[in-house]
Amino acid sequence: MSGLRSFVARRLLLGVAQIAAVVLLVFALTEALPGDAAVALAGDQPDPARIEAIRTALELDRPAWERLVHWAAGLLHGDLGTSLTSGRPVARYLADAFGPTLLLAALTVALLVPAGVALGVLAARYEGRPVDRLISSVTLAVYAVPEFALGVLLVTVFALRLGWLPPTAVGHGTDLLAHPGVLVLPVLVLLARPVCSLVRLVRAGMIDALASPYVAHALRYGVSGARVRYLHALPHALAPAVQQLARTIDWLLCGVVVVETLFVVPGLGTVLLGAVAERDVPVVQGLAVVFGVVTVVLNLGADVIAHRLAPRAGVAA
Amino acid sequence: MRVLPGRFVLGVAVVTVPLVIALLGPVFAGPPPAREASFTEGAGHWFGTDFVGRDVWYQVLHGGRPVVLTALAATVLAYLVALPLGLAGALTQRHLVEELLLRPLDVLLAVPSLLMILLVATVLSPGTVGLALLVAVVNVPDAARLVRATATEIAARPAVEALRMQGETWWRIAVGHIGRSMLRTVTADAGTRLTGVLYLVATAAFLGVGAAPDAADWAVMVDRNRTGLLVQPWAVVVPALLIVALTTGTNLLFDAALDKRGRGPGGTSVREA
Repeated sequence: MSGLRSFVARRLLLGVAQIAAVVLLVFALTEALPGDAAVALAGDQPDPARIEAIRTALELDRPAWERLVHWAAGLLHGDLGTSLTSGRPVARYLADAFGPTLLLAALTVALLVPAGVALGVLAARYEGRPVDRLISSVTLAVYAVPEFALGVLLVTVFALRLGWLPPTAVGHGTDLLAHPGVLVLPVLVLLARPVCSLVRLVRAGMIDALASPYVAHALRYGVSGARVRYLHALPHALAPAVQQLARTIDWLLCGVVVVETLFVVPGLGTVLLGAVAERDVPVVQGLAVVFGVVTVVLNLGADVIAHRLAPRAGVAA
Repeated sequence: MRVLPGRFVLGVAVVTVPLVIALLGPVFAGPPPAREASFTEGAGHWFGTDFVGRDVWYQVLHGGRPVVLTALAATVLAYLVALPLGLAGALTQRHLVEELLLRPLDVLLAVPSLLMILLVATVLSPGTVGLALLVAVVNVPDAARLVRATATEIAARPAVEALRMQGETWWRIAVGHIGRSMLRTVTADAGTRLTGVLYLVATAAFLGVGAAPDAADWAVMVDRNRTGLLVQPWAVVVPALLIVALTTGTNLLFDAALDKRGRGPGGTSVREA
């Protein structure tokens, strides 16, 4: 187990470095503003009072490193700063919008894993037959389609032409679970890309594993086919898939921003886009740090799990 | 891996329509038709009018070029940076240099790509060129990683050892031999990367990054005409279908091409997802 422990230690170190880099990068954002940051942020309404307000809010008079230390210290205490446009704490924004986004993400992941693994195993079991061809072609085709194009087409067909589902989540506030019909299309759109990549990985992994000597050996010993498939071959096939699952968090984040815009869901993605449009730097920074840290932590977890599943594979760290 | 013979043909068929419209559309579009009421159907307009009363077909003919060209430029740019970086990282004898060149990229990989783009968009409002640069930057870490992995593997081969012992110059070994040997792997990766880049470029434009709000751009059209989806769906459906065809077709095409010659020299598989 010492191998695992040293691997985890090294991977943790990289994770910490990545989080530090995310914080630095996000902070560097205000520094990257051309010219006087306060003037640049005031944008369309450059009246002196507003510029002065922004200057005090961002403490632009203090040197950059002092602000960085102050901001990073605040982050450690969960203080993410204050919005420029509304004056509300960023943490409040997060708390309000967290529910819908978490619901969408959790539902997607909960459906993604069983669907991806089941379809992948199915395709691998019938490799080369029509079922496999169908699954492979469809996943390959849908894999690359941007969520917004797919979403808008689904809305046109299922919400506007057929009238089966509501086109947006407007009017339901943050309590989406009470209106499950609203969630069907967003979750479908969010699922599309990750499912495809997961299916393809599980399929490829399963085909490799099923062709391996140890599977042939187990079968010769008379171990049942299902047992070999699910207890011996599947764990090996899953190792690369687990890592891909973490990479999909990146996609899921992109997807959430797009899907929330498309279906008017009041979640973190909507807040982020709104803040980007209004140049509300503290809100963008706070959200970016949260998203970045979540990505780093999930990737870390996935690498450790993948290492545990297939220690030989030498997961990058 | 079975090669589905139809897949290549299918990919070509699917990608042709959006590609031809994107590249040649502006040539055949002619002068812009007069503006009319927004979101009307018929009346001399094939697909009706859009949210400000412009002819949808005219906009469609012009709207593909920014998407395709931005994506191509971003892919090329990403490799212009990733190739030397990865090669230098793989061939240097000093461990420290490799760490210095490539560790920062590992760290950058942690930031979700769209988040990166949105972060920059907050402060800079990039245009089309800015978007291409941004998407390229986002793709550099991963591409450099692949280049380094491929080059490291080739550099350990007996042929390279022999070249080194013959006293060939660094340049000849790095570019003449290793660079050429990894051409296939890199082309294959560039194909897959192009699909991802197309996705990012279109999504960014849809979210209002890198394109003017009234630009003739398929992604922008989908976004801006959504308000009239109930009255005039064509203004949304036509560009959305073209984007779907473009991305799907590119992916099918490169996957089929990859299957045929994807096994790089020395039998290294390129499809390590």
